[in-house]
Amino acid sequence: MRKKLEGNGLWESSRMMLPEHKESNLRKRQELKRRERRQLDEQELEEAERLLSSSLEARRVVRIAMFHPYEQTEVIGIVERIDTLQQRFMVDGEWFALRDVQGVAAESLDA
Amino acid sequence: MRDKRVIFLADCQSFYASVEKASHPEFQHQPVVVAGDPARRSGVILAACPLAKQQGVKTAERLGEALAKCPGLVVIKPRMQRYIEISQMITEIFQCYTDMVEPYSIDEQFMDVTGSLHLYGSPQELASQIQQRLLMETGIYTRFGISETKVLAKMACDNYAKKNDSGIYSLPVANLPETLWKLPIHQLFMAGSRMTAHFHAMGLPTIGDLARTPLPRLKEMMRRRFGKNSDINAELYWRIANGVDNSPVTPGTHEVAPKSVGHMMTLPRDYALLEEIKVIVLELTELVCQRCRGMGYMGQTVSVSCLGADYENMSGFSRQAKLMDPTNVTNQIYHAAVQLLERHWDGRPVRRVGVSLSGLTDDSEYQISLFEDPSRERSRALERTTDRLKARFGDSVILRAVSLAGNGQAVDRAAKIGGHYK
Repeated sequence: MRKKLEGNGLWESSRMMLPEHKESNLRKRQELKRRERRQLDEQELEEAERLLSSSLEARRVVRIAMFHPYEQTEVIGIVERIDTLQQRFMVDGEWFALRDVQGVAAESLDA
Repeated sequence: MRDKRVIFLADCQSFYASVEKASHPEFQHQPVVVAGDPARRSGVILAACPLAKQQGVKTAERLGEALAKCPGLVVIKPRMQRYIEISQMITEIFQCYTDMVEPYSIDEQFMDVTGSLHLYGSPQELASQIQQRLLMETGIYTRFGISETKVLAKMACDNYAKKNDSGIYSLPVANLPETLWKLPIHQLFMAGSRMTAHFHAMGLPTIGDLARTPLPRLKEMMRRRFGKNSDINAELYWRIANGVDNSPVTPGTHEVAPKSVGHMMTLPRDYALLEEIKVIVLELTELVCQRCRGMGYMGQTVSVSCLGADYENMSGFSRQAKLMDPTNVTNQIYHAAVQLLERHWDGRPVRRVGVSLSGLTDDSEYQISLFEDPSRERSRALERTTDRLKARFGDSVILRAVSLAGNGQAVDRAAKIGGHYK
């Protein structure tokens, strides 16, 4: 009962909405959050390539922004392998697709 | 930033009927109603256009009565799916003006325009701009209540914007004594007929009388009538009357996990045999489990409710049982639901049946018990397949055999949303 007086309680408890309407609303809101895959330009590609291989060779920690349709995701770690044939790289034993790379930054160690 | 919020409540006039009039321009100057199927009990008026209302047609009355008053009435079958789509379209139009849009029902939505108002001028100008755009793009006339809180925006719309010529009314808190407080108490938001009678008996015939009663005094008055637990209601009504409501416009309000998943059905006739009612329980259980599986939940508490056919002499029950482990397998839930039905049903005819599942948990992992029913994994695989079929081709594409045996409602229900035709 107390809930009616808190937050959005008054409206949550009196709302009249069909479950089908709620679901369509949720789907639309999810779609609003949809992200597009960004195409890196030549310089960005070059920079990403340089940082990824320097991480592989010098075991330097990098921060790699990855594409995800609904979320902001990052991979942080040392690149352990690069598989150019299958266009993928490995960090911490897990493979990631190179085409999902949206940007690479060197991770400062004192952070 | 302004120190006061600017909140709109937008209400679509005769929503279903307006949608139908927009898609049938040939009926533009004729009285139109949207009504349920007359052959089944749902033959009532769901929405009447202003022309029909002028002839005395009222929402929720029987189709027969409406036709008697207005012989030239155009009767249209509901298309619920379309109304949901149009409502969604209106939400998207509102989102062009602010990202703070919260649907309150299919035809009412809140908007908080505090942050973007400076781009458009005064609140009235913005409301009028949106009103014209909606009329042009959807053919629907919308009324706007404007105020500093949601509850005042709602009452501004219901009590003033719906009745004036512009369909727009601004109700600032400072004006309450000359406006809202002069209105009779039944025009207060959330005051039903019973509560209205109580307020009259307490000597509070207007909204102002309630608003000006000190809260401790009101609590005391309500305690005398409703007992000790009425303090919260007292505070609720007192706040509404004073326009006190700090609840935010909450766009993502449906993104929170549900507490329970349930379905309820009003039957086309009274069901008096256990076997018949069991078919309905199975169909409802199937729907509940299907929705749970779709959302990735399992539940541990099963509730079954039955409402008797005789409204004068209320009978029926609503009971729940807790399972050993959470599940979303239809047969497991059905088994528990039937046990509840057999134990608590008094044998009198039933008009309404409901099944719901609560105590929800994530279904991506579950405890395999030592003496696990080996059919469980197979049931899960089977249900994954039937759910996918239904999602793709509609709920009636694959059914249990009992649903075809005459008492079943699954085929009919699959053609409906909220009890009305899709």
